[in-house]
Amino acid sequence: MRTVSRRGSAIAGLAAVSIAAAACAGSGGGGDEGQAGSITISGSSTVEPISSFVAEIFNETNPNVQISVDGPGTGDGFQLFCNGEIDISDASRPIADEEIKACEKNGVEYTELEVALDGVTVMTSPGNSAVTCLDDGDIYALFGPESDGIDTWAGATSLAMEVGGNGGFPDAPLEITAPGEESGTYDTFIELSGIEDIGVDRGLSEDAAAALRKDYQASPNDNVIITAMEGSPSALGFVGFAFAEEAADSIREIQIDGGSGCVGPSAETIADGSYPLSRPLYIYVNSKAAARPEIAAYVDYYTSDEALKTLVPQVGYVALPADRVEATRSAWASATATS
Amino acid sequence: MSAIAPTRHVQTTVELALRGRRRDVAGRVFQGGLLLSLLLSLAILIVLLGTSLSDAWPVLSSRAGAFVTSNVSRLDVRAGVRQGIVGSMILIGFVAIVAMPLGIAAAIYLQEYARDTRINRLLTTNIRNLAGVPSIVYGILGLVVFVQALRAVTGPNVFGRSYVSGGLTLSALVLPIVILITMEALRAVPRSIREAAYGVGATQWEVVRHHVLPYAAPGIFTGAILSLARAFGETAPLLLVGAVTGYLSTPGGRTPLEILQGQYTSLPTQIFSWSRLAGDGWKANTAAAIIVLLVIILVVNLAAILLRNRYDRRW
Repeated sequence: MRTVSRRGSAIAGLAAVSIAAAACAGSGGGGDEGQAGSITISGSSTVEPISSFVAEIFNETNPNVQISVDGPGTGDGFQLFCNGEIDISDASRPIADEEIKACEKNGVEYTELEVALDGVTVMTSPGNSAVTCLDDGDIYALFGPESDGIDTWAGATSLAMEVGGNGGFPDAPLEITAPGEESGTYDTFIELSGIEDIGVDRGLSEDAAAALRKDYQASPNDNVIITAMEGSPSALGFVGFAFAEEAADSIREIQIDGGSGCVGPSAETIADGSYPLSRPLYIYVNSKAAARPEIAAYVDYYTSDEALKTLVPQVGYVALPADRVEATRSAWASATATS
Repeated sequence: MSAIAPTRHVQTTVELALRGRRRDVAGRVFQGGLLLSLLLSLAILIVLLGTSLSDAWPVLSSRAGAFVTSNVSRLDVRAGVRQGIVGSMILIGFVAIVAMPLGIAAAIYLQEYARDTRINRLLTTNIRNLAGVPSIVYGILGLVVFVQALRAVTGPNVFGRSYVSGGLTLSALVLPIVILITMEALRAVPRSIREAAYGVGATQWEVVRHHVLPYAAPGIFTGAILSLARAFGETAPLLLVGAVTGYLSTPGGRTPLEILQGQYTSLPTQIFSWSRLAGDGWKANTAAAIIVLLVIILVVNLAAILLRNRYDRRW
């Protein structure tokens, strides 16, 4: 009898812990400044750091707005966005045709805003000094859909020459680690490096050409890719520019020749467009949501100089040049004017 | 230990008398093998703990206090695990309230009341299997049932991605474990206790209430708290049912219901998302969060041991 009542008190104790925790969760913030309401953001894991950081600073002046930012991937983001489940979709590529159709079907209207620039850094091990620059043909021969089974650098030479590359690769094992096909970086790399164009020229179907080789080590975790670069002197891979910059000691960047000489990735070459593998990053704002004051205030702040010019570089991305900042701001202004 | 010593003495004496001075080689090898297994598992644990601690040191030595009281941040020097700790606490509180009573009740029924029919045996076997199902499968269950089908109840404003969904998913995950451990504890209560109680005319309810449950309590407790620790460490199902992995703000002034129906993050999912970020700062943060998680689980396990000792009965 006594024992049983003690057990009851222990369960009550557990319940008390959870209630205390709940009370604790509710005790942040306070005060009546700024906007209230909630903002739900999802989409590209590449853009997530920017949206998160902007949200964090926005929350400092608007502590009563509840914001959540996730980064499952651009495609997943648009799926949620076109179902009307999120207010803002982060994207590392423009919205695709079938996604536009899905949005139309559900009556979701939106505004596309360019918010930053990012690049794709092709990299190798710091111990590899034989390869310093790759052109389109080289990349096609090393990464492209026809390179399945090529397991040494030298083995890719003949294919590289065939498609107009420089070739001249060292005779060393070729160990590729890179993002998998669920990643926006994967799509960007294929598109910007010209793999798709070369493949189609060589008679592959569009789907077959818009893919990398199947036999490389794919990882959704960029830290794993960086570690692979450190692990072998003949490693090869690519990650987003911001990530590669953070890990600059562990890797060696490879320059890219897009037809006008070898250019390495840097904030300058990405901003002026001379680095071939650079891309804009976007946010898509649901028009219905944009009518809500907290969303409008958040996007107002997102498109301010402070966010686009100061916060963006702080999380490792390249700020838009002045004219594109203006373009973003006027796109947002006209979207809010009509709604 | 004291119970073993005299027996061992007897054992050696008898062995000496029977076998003379011949050495028991196989026995020694076996003993050495056992010791090696123990050392190996300990070594793995120590290496794991050591690397985490040394990775986490920059954070633990400079801002341990701020680390556990700060919210998520995009800046590694500002980021903390407060929301993760709070989130995980609420989640396991939810599990304690939902899964514990349900699981213990189900186990009492199966062990004390249910007849040994084919259907009941099938039921027990099924529960045993469910306990071995990978946690990601429970994540899929949670996504389909709690997040999508029941979103009007679980989280009307967040499309079902709420504490309620996460808590119910974790509850479903630990339920079979709670049932099995409780059944085990009930089975360990000697028959004689039940028979004695029946012998003096107690009803089945009185037997369970006054005799079986009090004796099984330490076992049930240990099991319950160990399954809470399991729920605390789960990551995969929470990622599926929508724990926030990026940024999350938790403004004040919300009612408990609004909090429960709102979005959340948890310590393990924070560790997961931080491990994917670039730079040494995040590496240190990830390791520090792992240490925090380990400390909390250690405390939970310690509580389990204390509770068990407190309720321990001898017969």
